[in-house]
Amino acid sequence: MKALEISAITFSYNSPADKSAAGGNEYALRNFSMSVEKGKIHALLGPNGAGKTTLMKIITGVLRGYSGEVVILGNKMPDNRALVSTGCAPQTISLYMTLTARENLRFFGAMANLSDEQIAKRSEEVLAQTGLAEHADKLVVTYSGGMQRRLNLAVALLHAPKLLLLDEPTVGVDPQSRHNIYETLNRLNASGMTILLSTHIMEEAARFCSSATLADRGKVIYDGLMCEIDNLEKFFLEKTGRGLRDD
Amino acid sequence: MIRRQLMEFVKKEFLIMFRDKQTILLLFIMPVALIVFMTLALKGVYADRINERQIHLAIENESKSPKANLLEEKIKSHKLIQRIDLPQGMDRDRIFEYGKADALVVIPKGFDEGTQPVEIYFDPVFDPGYKIAVRSLMTSLTVEVVMGIDNLDAVVANLIVEKTKQNRDIPSPLQQTVPAYAIFAMFFIAIPMSIGFLKEKNEGTLQRLFTYTVSANTVALGKIIPYYIINIIQFLLMMLVGVYIAPYIVGSSFQTGNHFWYFIPVTLVVAAATTGFGVLVAALAKTPEQCPTLAATGAILMGVLGGIMVPYFVMPMVMKKLAMISPIFWAHQAYLDVFLRDAAFSTILPKLAVLTLFALACFFIAGRRIKWM
Repeated sequence: MKALEISAITFSYNSPADKSAAGGNEYALRNFSMSVEKGKIHALLGPNGAGKTTLMKIITGVLRGYSGEVVILGNKMPDNRALVSTGCAPQTISLYMTLTARENLRFFGAMANLSDEQIAKRSEEVLAQTGLAEHADKLVVTYSGGMQRRLNLAVALLHAPKLLLLDEPTVGVDPQSRHNIYETLNRLNASGMTILLSTHIMEEAARFCSSATLADRGKVIYDGLMCEIDNLEKFFLEKTGRGLRDD
Repeated sequence: MIRRQLMEFVKKEFLIMFRDKQTILLLFIMPVALIVFMTLALKGVYADRINERQIHLAIENESKSPKANLLEEKIKSHKLIQRIDLPQGMDRDRIFEYGKADALVVIPKGFDEGTQPVEIYFDPVFDPGYKIAVRSLMTSLTVEVVMGIDNLDAVVANLIVEKTKQNRDIPSPLQQTVPAYAIFAMFFIAIPMSIGFLKEKNEGTLQRLFTYTVSANTVALGKIIPYYIINIIQFLLMMLVGVYIAPYIVGSSFQTGNHFWYFIPVTLVVAAATTGFGVLVAALAKTPEQCPTLAATGAILMGVLGGIMVPYFVMPMVMKKLAMISPIFWAHQAYLDVFLRDAAFSTILPKLAVLTLFALACFFIAGRRIKWM
């Protein structure tokens, strides 16, 4: 069974006025299709501008106005059941810096409609999972980059989602925090959670993911099993080219 | 469900705000300081328009005759006069350079005989109205002494009766500054409100909210309600300061009027206008750095026009007309209606209508411009 099915998604950030003024359209995603098997860790790979973050935002319902279809665990987006079963750790540390970890978890738990008891129980669990239990009552602004990244993940895990979306979860963290994050993800995956991991770190993708989608300039250029790829970094550069992507 | 989410929004915003010392300084300490210092400053500027001011008068009694001494005594003891002693040997022409006297009265030799008149010298910058008052007072006192009348006021009591209507238009300095700077501070809520919104937008927490089953309306209300509540708390605190603390510092009391409770609907509407302004700033600013400039410039301009820094009743006519474009003017006048003029609610209502329109216009423009992502 598929945990996530994305069918023919086309999306542009340009407004209709921009489109007519420019005489055309620049698509962030074009006829983009992929799927993730339930219980797997799937890598979403691509150079800058491939459309990975845009796709994450579409899956989580943050971006609207696309054509195509997103189905999460059998529920077609936009759908509250789909949102409730999805957790997302964005690339930017999306936390309230002058709140403590526990206060952040309490707030986002309430947004996820968890009861006070559920929030208290789950907070302890995710804080332990991410190694932040001892620092739960410190302001997030006092955390190191790695601790903030782990809390970013803890918030995504709070409501026990079935599908976890991770956008560059280990950017700027030390090896210890990276190790903790992947240990946590492996444990969660072993307990049945499906994970879609967007990353630039090929070594991590090759090590932890069983399947991958490679995207470039808004299009899918590879979608298949990781075991079919010998050297992921070489494969990535062959498919997407060696030129710099600064545009 | 939505109520609980809103409660959490309020809690979250309160925690963030009350951990920010600069915001506390801006929203609560600044207006208290402004109320105290501006009340003290305004007392000197226009208090004499409300209360009788004492005139600083120097007297030179060259005659020293019994009548001259009596006249000197009557002048010195009059409630409107504060006698100024000038340094020994100071030249009469230099008295006003000395800067302490408004006028000089010379009782010359020959006053008893009626050969020399009493002379009055005025400071060149002395208010013409006071010149008339001093001249009139000197005339009365001189007539009393020369004609041997004990009290001229008592003699003319049957001819002239003075009746002063209770002042309902000119606020005392404290009456002016308490609502004025409370409103002013309420408009400054736009700074933390807009910065908070744009920071959340830039840092991704706002986007993260939309990955949950939270509607845009709930998020919008969650950003507005906490600041609306803070505005009301601000006003109540300023009122407490005005009624219970400031009188001990500035030496005058704050009158709350006969329809004190009308301040509740007024405050609810003023808070809607101020949070509306905050939402507008959040919608117009592109970066958090632009927010303080936009919000402070807007609030100060509205304050200047609205009779906060310079009281409305001392403004020239052109400025009085311009004041009407400032929502702060309508808010201040509504509070003066309640606390000073004991106005009927129907008198206050049009001012509240203007403020409601302002709030709706802000929310409407912001609603069209604001980008959540």
